[in-house]
Amino acid sequence: MKQLVVISLFLPLWVYGQPNCQALLYYGDTLQYKACKLVEDIDKRYYQFSREYQELMDQALEICPYFAYAYREKSSVYVKSGNFIMWKKLIDKAVEYAPQDYLSVRASLKFKMFADYQGAIEDINLLDSLVDYDIGPTSNGIYHLNIAKALCYKALGKKEKAIQIVEDQLAKASHYLGAYDYLHLGVLYLETNQWQKAIEAFQKQEEENNLAENHYYLALVYKKLGQVEPYKYHLKEATSLYHNRYHMFDPYNHLLDEIFLENIESEVETAYNPR
Amino acid sequence: MTIKKSFILYLLTFVFCCHSEKKSTAENPFDTLASEEVSVRESKYPRWVDDIEFDPKVDDAAFKVCYGDNHIIQYFNNSRGVEYEGEKTAIDQAFQDGYDESKAAKESGLIRVRFIVNCEGKTGRFRILAMDEAYNEKAFDASITGQLLEITKSLTGWKPKVERGSKVDYYQYLIFKIQNGAIVKILP
Repeated sequence: MKQLVVISLFLPLWVYGQPNCQALLYYGDTLQYKACKLVEDIDKRYYQFSREYQELMDQALEICPYFAYAYREKSSVYVKSGNFIMWKKLIDKAVEYAPQDYLSVRASLKFKMFADYQGAIEDINLLDSLVDYDIGPTSNGIYHLNIAKALCYKALGKKEKAIQIVEDQLAKASHYLGAYDYLHLGVLYLETNQWQKAIEAFQKQEEENNLAENHYYLALVYKKLGQVEPYKYHLKEATSLYHNRYHMFDPYNHLLDEIFLENIESEVETAYNPR
Repeated sequence: MTIKKSFILYLLTFVFCCHSEKKSTAENPFDTLASEEVSVRESKYPRWVDDIEFDPKVDDAAFKVCYGDNHIIQYFNNSRGVEYEGEKTAIDQAFQDGYDESKAAKESGLIRVRFIVNCEGKTGRFRILAMDEAYNEKAFDASITGQLLEITKSLTGWKPKVERGSKVDYYQYLIFKIQNGAIVKILP
């Protein structure tokens, strides 16, 4: 029992994937505990898009109207079907009742699914102002939220600000390198004509996670530098990696700086048939 | 138990819990339907969230789904994302070529066109949902939605999704980010 108590002290009330019912009970919130127990193993019973799933979450909300987890879970299917109206209504309720837990989710999905870059930045900044710990990753774990914020600034045309945020984040000893961090930084350098820095960033990306994208963009750097042989070499590498499915991918949406075969082929055409 | 061990347990909680886009053991709708008849009962929800039912007033009666409305999956269910001949660049190009910004009202927001791709790669049951820049539902001028709908209907490169070796029906959507009548981004 002593062990349980010690463990409970460290457990968060809920995390993104699954509620921690025991922690709710420990903190004396019996209403949330009852709601939590009702949906504890819901994913084993029902498909998230099913009527039964939604109805059980509604029952949990009848027990505890401020059970933020249920709102977040209900919202999840709507973001996946692209229903921004229903998603926003539900995720706003989750954020209202548990801002520190769900601001990161709302920010991540505004950025990722609806290209709402300004809205994502505002949510990330709000979260940062509410907590005194690292704000952590996006809801799918691909980026640190500060990297996502930088990409939002880039999408809004503020590339220098984006570079500064990425550089600051990567310089932190506590930063866990994301799958595409150096790729995005390299593209930012490329887009701001910082050729040598771009080359270095793409080389680091290659060491961490070799993708068609970093060779494609590296080729563009060498093209700008007038170095034909490395330009052609990296296009060849990009083509090979793309055909072997080593490229950026997300099953839900296309990613910033993601390339497609047509992009490479079009560049290859230019490389071998210069005007 | 030492504090160190407790802390490790705490970290493990995150490792195993923080999957926002999680795989359910009942991920594929076919799983839940295989061993049971679908019951018809009163509910404010359709069989699957955001289902598009056939509407004879607006839908082409010639368009058919191959396995019935209860077996239409979502585009991401097979983990292959958007599957279109020529990929995203071909979709972008179709709208770049077909959308006439000069004819569009100067409105802004997001417009979703959602539809079904059947097991033959044909499309039908198109529906529009739109919002302003503050996530309020909005009806855009037909000079925008009409063009988006017609171009979306003209797209012929959708690949049938394959589940367990069979071509299946699925829901797909395109979301258009519109600024002053111009398409500035196409999602997902």
